[in-house]
Amino acid sequence: MFTCKQVSHSLSKEDYAKLSPAKRFFLQLHVKLCIFCGKFNRQVMDGQDMCRHFKQYEATNCQCAPELQEGQKDELKALLAAQSAKSSKN
Amino acid sequence: MDRYGNYLYAYAMSRLRNADVAADCVQDTFLAGIKALERFDGSRDIKFWLRGIMRNKIVDQIRKSIKENKVDIDNEDETLLESFWFKYSGIATTNPDPWQFNPRKAYDNTEFWDVFNVCIDKVKQPARQAFVLRMLEDMETEEVCKVMDITPNYLWVLLHRARQQLKVALEEKWTGKDVK
Repeated sequence: MFTCKQVSHSLSKEDYAKLSPAKRFFLQLHVKLCIFCGKFNRQVMDGQDMCRHFKQYEATNCQCAPELQEGQKDELKALLAAQSAKSSKN
Repeated sequence: MDRYGNYLYAYAMSRLRNADVAADCVQDTFLAGIKALERFDGSRDIKFWLRGIMRNKIVDQIRKSIKENKVDIDNEDETLLESFWFKYSGIATTNPDPWQFNPRKAYDNTEFWDVFNVCIDKVKQPARQAFVLRMLEDMETEEVCKVMDITPNYLWVLLHRARQQLKVALEEKWTGKDVK
């Protein structure tokens, strides 16, 4: 049987998929029966779920994200133009 | 540059939280992109290809900043930190607090993600770096430990702390209540 410490480490590291079926069964049983580990598991899953949704939002429709300043953009464009010219010469 | 510059900058900012370092990262990404352009096979959106390059730059920046602030990580005793949650026998002593609101119900609200982005800033270093690498960049535990030069147990402590701080910040910002 697992201790709470072992269970929470395994949940946090998400390495439970690597466990043997028997060990995974006992881990799931512990999470079902133990109040702490049940809540901890929920917290970990909420965190993962939230990050996954945030990344989707970030990739598609982030509206008020910080933007590069015009000066920074011009500087970067000049640098990239110089770099492109250099690589096309080579 | 016009099309993807702001996207990459926003991406770097949400991970690094430093305008100058994020701008440098964008610059390095584009320069590396130009050099590696012939390796781009067009099988996916160039935006995500550039993001892949940027991911490595972000990891490099985090590694660099950890080396510069090494004392912060070594300072803490992981056994002592863990003892707050577990008895010597490994049995838990405290329960994580439940959410003050249901975050899943806020997922469709774009404002929630802007608040989430702001709240990541409230997570203190080095927990934020661990959170960014493990949760936002999906790096394996072993890889994160290598980059941060920490043990898996200490990573566990940092991630737990990051989740707690993020939760407190989100509850405070989203519900408008000061929850401590």
